[in-house]
Amino acid sequence: MKHVVRIPGPLRSYTQDAAQVQASGDTLVELLAALDRAHPGMRFRIIDEQDRIRPHIRIFVNTREMPTLATPLAAGDEVHLICALSGG
Amino acid sequence: MLSEDERARYSRHLLLPEFGEAGQEKLRAARVLVVGAGGLGSPAALYLAAAGVGTLGLVDHDRVDISNLQRQVLFDTASLGAGKAETARARLRALNPLIDVQAHSVELRASNAQSLIEPYDLVIDGSDRLATRYLVNDLCVLLKKPLVSAAIHRFEGQAMSYLPGRGPCYRCLFPKSADGVVPNCAEAGVLGVLPGILGSLQATEALKIVLGIGTPLAGRLLTFDALAMSWHEFSFTRRADCAVCGDAPSIRSANDSVAAGLDNSSSGIERLEPQQLQALLASAQSAAAAVTLVDVRAPREYSAGHLRVAINIPLPDLSRRLVELPLDSQLIFICRSGGRSWAAATQAAGAGYRSLAHLEGGMLAWAATLDPSMVVAPA
Repeated sequence: MKHVVRIPGPLRSYTQDAAQVQASGDTLVELLAALDRAHPGMRFRIIDEQDRIRPHIRIFVNTREMPTLATPLAAGDEVHLICALSGG
Repeated sequence: MLSEDERARYSRHLLLPEFGEAGQEKLRAARVLVVGAGGLGSPAALYLAAAGVGTLGLVDHDRVDISNLQRQVLFDTASLGAGKAETARARLRALNPLIDVQAHSVELRASNAQSLIEPYDLVIDGSDRLATRYLVNDLCVLLKKPLVSAAIHRFEGQAMSYLPGRGPCYRCLFPKSADGVVPNCAEAGVLGVLPGILGSLQATEALKIVLGIGTPLAGRLLTFDALAMSWHEFSFTRRADCAVCGDAPSIRSANDSVAAGLDNSSSGIERLEPQQLQALLASAQSAAAAVTLVDVRAPREYSAGHLRVAINIPLPDLSRRLVELPLDSQLIFICRSGGRSWAAATQAAGAGYRSLAHLEGGMLAWAATLDPSMVVAPA
């Protein structure tokens, strides 16, 4: 199942500056793996060595967070990667 | 009671049923602290002063630089080189002489954060360092002060409000981060008008919270993308394990907040982008500075393609071969995508090495940004 994934500015170096890409996956685990295949190195910026979401990143599906990365995604779900920003 | 001057000045507010004279009096009694008189703090402070917030405080220890004028609308060309807090005070008092403006020309730090924040009713965070953002958030939680936070990057911005006892804090949203992981305006650039939008939004939130009207941005993260001209809103909740507002908080003072640390400072491991590594290697070559580059991939991956000066110590061998590495040299670990090199740097940190770095994104990032001819073998 393909999903629109919104990419935050600090991670756009992995997507050739694209603000949104498409990636397949029935769960966020699968979708992040697909993202990494298409944009090598990107998953490591989002997920740490213990397979946890990095503390300066949030992943929202539509407007909310999923209970776990393995929770099934629904058709048409939009995935938003959000990164803490520091500029003022 | 409002004076005749005040009735005339705030007449458009007084027409709003949500304000009335009582609302305007609430604003006059309010004390709002703006942390950072920069891109966000400029419009926020201007609108709050114009609106009649009785006491406005500004914390900024910087001086006005010409590169600020593209977005920091508190200042003009004549203010170049002058202190920001004092210059802002004069500008805000010229706009509205009926209010009191306090200039705090200091850097907000653990040692002064409490005394700076305590006298105010609400804080606006417009700082440009994550370390300051966490300190401001933690103090607002500890001192039970509402906080309106916003941040910007290139063409995008984000904002949220913290209301004591009524919703999650900034640390619930992002438990930890580090300056350097997330670039600031000076490093990444920013659309000049962007902080105008986010800072005005902060002023709006502050006025609503002071007046007790509308629905504040508590438990909601609002994001803005100027290129797409789109807004998104996300819900988030308080974390029971939040280090400052959770059930068993470990942060109970400003010093705890700083000690809670950021990814970089707690581990002491620097995360290098390919360009930074390239620059480091170039300077090491010319100055003979001590830099040791350690490729921790398997020998097969290393042979397929590696940086010329890199030595190969596969990660599984590292613990027994650490002794080969000089203690007085900066150790930079690299691998394919940044996972093994981080693990290696962490291991070296545990073994007492102090000057440590790793290549963020690994050789894949190097090849993608600097050298497409580099062969990066599969792991």
